[in-house]
Amino acid sequence: MGARADADGAGGQPVTGPVSSLDPVNGAARNAPSSVGHGGADVVIDSIGKTFRRGGRRTVALAGINLKVRAGELVCLLGPSGCGKSTLLRIVAGALEQDEGTVTVGGRPVRGPSPDRGMLFQTPMLFPWLTTRKNILFGPKAQRAGGLNERDDPELDAEADAILGTVGLAKFGDAFPHELSGGMQHRAAFARAIITRPSLLLMDEPFGALDAITRLRMHDFLLGMWEQYRTTIIFVTHDIEEAVLLGDRVAVMGGRPPGIQEVIDIPIGRPRHAVDADTESFLTAKRKIRASLTV
Amino acid sequence: MSVWRSLPPLGERPVADGEETVAALLGREDQDGLDERADRDDLAAYRRARRRARARRLATGAAGLIGLAVVWQIVATFIRDPVFLPSVTRTVSTFWHYLGRPYPSQGSPIWYDALTSLRRILIGFAIGVVAGVTLGAAMSATRVVRHLIDPVIEVLRPLPPLAFIPLFIIWFGIGELPKVVLIVIGVTPIMAITSVVALDEVPEDLRLCARTLGASRFYTLLHVQLRSALPGILTGMRISMAAAWTSIVAAELIAATSGLGYLIQQAGDYLNTALVLSGIICIALMALALDACIRGLLLLADPSRRG
Repeated sequence: MGARADADGAGGQPVTGPVSSLDPVNGAARNAPSSVGHGGADVVIDSIGKTFRRGGRRTVALAGINLKVRAGELVCLLGPSGCGKSTLLRIVAGALEQDEGTVTVGGRPVRGPSPDRGMLFQTPMLFPWLTTRKNILFGPKAQRAGGLNERDDPELDAEADAILGTVGLAKFGDAFPHELSGGMQHRAAFARAIITRPSLLLMDEPFGALDAITRLRMHDFLLGMWEQYRTTIIFVTHDIEEAVLLGDRVAVMGGRPPGIQEVIDIPIGRPRHAVDADTESFLTAKRKIRASLTV
Repeated sequence: MSVWRSLPPLGERPVADGEETVAALLGREDQDGLDERADRDDLAAYRRARRRARARRLATGAAGLIGLAVVWQIVATFIRDPVFLPSVTRTVSTFWHYLGRPYPSQGSPIWYDALTSLRRILIGFAIGVVAGVTLGAAMSATRVVRHLIDPVIEVLRPLPPLAFIPLFIIWFGIGELPKVVLIVIGVTPIMAITSVVALDEVPEDLRLCARTLGASRFYTLLHVQLRSALPGILTGMRISMAAAWTSIVAAELIAATSGLGYLIQQAGDYLNTALVLSGIICIALMALALDACIRGLLLLADPSRRG
């Protein structure tokens, strides 16, 4: 397993940077070579500011944002609508340019979107004209030089089969997105994002539109996948419970101008499951976040 | 070249302890919320059911058309005046008779007039679609172009094609050109508007999604933005095809020496009502066939419409 992780590192994946500053207690265990994953990158968000100008009006969307995310960590950005959490996520994705500050992922500054930083949205954003399998293969095929008229590649097909199985859609490779249920669509979107081997996954309220029960299942799904791939995840949500269940840490956003109010550690062991929401430490963490939000 | 290429394929990775848990958590593949679509544990059966529903719908539609023909036949039988309303059987036999024989005797058979109209339609429609989609793409991409062209389209769009015919006769004579131009004038604004709407409706996040999956800007434009707008553009083509038929028949009624509109005009002058109806039925059949072609493309482009 160790050799495996080394091979990954030598294979051109952005090697996870030196994890210096943060939390020595959890840090050691968390950054041990993972079993099957391809590892994550650390993220450094340094004094980010963003102002939107529409007509003559200026709206400060973000000011002085600092956040460090360790390689392989799952951090939730929590806050009410309009607190700038989605804006921050899009800046990290490279979809939006900040006015001030820098973002580095795996030691490299962010310039424009990249398959190294996968993104998942509130709606699954599957391509409705492609089957599940072709949706999943979109990234690898688009990245190839030929792109347009690429012949089928058995190696790639095997990879698609494997990942379809992993997300529990083995029988649905030939189904079109509209033939899948909501949860299945999200799992397909996850598979499509993970096949390009991102070292960072950005998730923008991905389960916000699902019903409560499907949502619970998706939480367990995501936790299981994260245990397996150990990708760094930044997860945007406005749901306190979701943030506590998923996050190693929760960054509470809000205020005027919008910024990070507090970063709260969630001292609940891993691996976690949806049932952990009934424990004492879970409630304590929730209380702490609620207090931070009402300030 | 890219990052993923240099990594070992996923299928070869060793099975981890965690994986069993994941599989167990997922349970059955179709166990997925309260969604009614969740019961699709058998994709093939689901598609068969949708195909059956489609066949039923088509059968009901055919029954409607047959019902119309029956009512027509009954009314014609009671009226007993073939100049006012010939029966279905009489109309069909007239259609069959003149399909291969010229009317009037120095004129041309139905098939020739039908092909003449069809050629005008296809040429004008093709030019109009290309022009309209190009305009629409430019309008969707550039604000200035949109604000520049939008009022022009809004002025042209509500004008009936009939109003242009005398003008085009002055400008282009009575040959093929004025007819084709008339169709282009009818098709282009509709295609421009539907293209703008279809391109505007492509979610910004879909574009971003493609970019984060490693697609280049150009690849995204072609394979995501335009591809995503394709069903909307094809729907625009269905609407403008109907407009093209309106234009061409109007033009042929007034200023032509060939085409189905001309045939209908001639037959009307000689009170050959059965032939007038034959011409109308011929237009209906051809319009239906062309619409079916575009609908076929639409089914190919948008899987959610199948079944």
